Amino acid sequence: MMTFFKPRPVASRVVASIFALALVAGCATPPPADDKEAMAEWEQVNDPLEPMNRTIFEFNQAVDKALLKPLAQGYRWAVPQFGRDRVRDFVRNLRAPVIFVNDVLQGEPDRAMQTLMRFAFNTGFGIGGLIDVAEPGGIPYHDEDFGQTFAVWGIGEGPYLVLPILGPSNPRDGVGLATEWLADPFNLYMDRIGQDWAIWTRTGVSGVEKRERLLDTLDEIERTSLDYYSALRSTYRQNRAAEVKNKLDADGQR
Amino acid sequence: MLDRRSFLMGVAAVAVSGVVSRPVWAAPGDAGAFIQSLAESAMNTVAVKDLADSERVNRFRSLFVNTFDLPEISRFVLGRYWRAANDAQKAEFQKLFEDIQVYTWTRRFKEYNGETLELGGVKGEGEGDFIVDSQMKRAKLSPINVSWRVRRVGETFRILDIIVEGASMAITFRSDYGAVLSSQGGKVDGLLDVMRKKVDQLKLG
Repeated sequence: MMTFFKPRPVASRVVASIFALALVAGCATPPPADDKEAMAEWEQVNDPLEPMNRTIFEFNQAVDKALLKPLAQGYRWAVPQFGRDRVRDFVRNLRAPVIFVNDVLQGEPDRAMQTLMRFAFNTGFGIGGLIDVAEPGGIPYHDEDFGQTFAVWGIGEGPYLVLPILGPSNPRDGVGLATEWLADPFNLYMDRIGQDWAIWTRTGVSGVEKRERLLDTLDEIERTSLDYYSALRSTYRQNRAAEVKNKLDADGQR
Repeated sequence: MLDRRSFLMGVAAVAVSGVVSRPVWAAPGDAGAFIQSLAESAMNTVAVKDLADSERVNRFRSLFVNTFDLPEISRFVLGRYWRAANDAQKAEFQKLFEDIQVYTWTRRFKEYNGETLELGGVKGEGEGDFIVDSQMKRAKLSPINVSWRVRRVGETFRILDIIVEGASMAITFRSDYGAVLSSQGGKVDGLLDVMRKKVDQLKLG
């Protein structure tokens, strides 16, 4: 029997109260229907929940400034590039089963085979995934997730959504994230043998690793934009659309 | 600070490589070659080490205004607000937008760390437009996908957009600046105020 592990009640309560707080902020008002250009812009921006999203965004910014960003900076400062590469390779390798499943669900047998080969080589010769030996060997890394699979199946992104802590998203990608969280074999296994700490450690390490990679990019967007929220929203949506089309795959990028 | 000797050596190096005297738009009528020569110019003039900030700004600005289609980009970024703006506002917008880009990019080139641009394919897009794919290769870090949208203008080309990891800068600016315009009740002067503050902030650091 498959047992889904349950997130800690504390975490879900915090998330629920942020949502409740944000809902009070409510929805944005659409422009009058006869103003065609304003209406086109409204649809282009795709953010009817903007007031709520901005509230969550402010919360996320506060958490980021107080906790996540300092952690990522500390990680960059304390661990040399070689060590950070090993961490990146390790957490990427842990994702291989999920990537494989999504390659298959997207009807991409070649890419599924690449993911499978990478997992075998890296887990075996790469010391449990610490060293990505497959990439220099000619099988570059690519990422996939359930949000992208849903997109390939023709499901639209839905309105822009800022998730607490997790940041820019939308209903499609949010459901994708939840699916991954519940279906990831590593998480399922650790839950079954009662080693929940491994799941939380993995989540934390992946988060810090990702934040470290994004340090410069996000700083740059924040510094050069007039309205960070809007610039980030636009960048996220465009980048996501390109990922869905697998446009960013060359040479191990993504 | 820059001492006299390294300044002279810098001038000599630039003179020898000939990048200052040879305008980038004299490249053969091929979009890929245009981007290649632009990248080389930037590396050899703007990204050099030990350059006074003001000189780096000047060098980038002359490169930027001669290779980017600023009027067209401005029109796109302002969108429907462009028509509502008067000539003085349009001119001011273009100037501030140029300043924001110049200070942003000058800083990036100052932190230049041996990155190289590797050209990929070129494909036509609409009439006279081309998308030039490239990758910015970085030491020890994964490469960044960069595509350039360029338009043929007579014998040369002008850049309309840079697409970084799938995100078009023009579309991002349009969204960013549009949001500020909305929050300013659609008033272009309100946007110009915010832009002025941004320029001052970027100038400082």
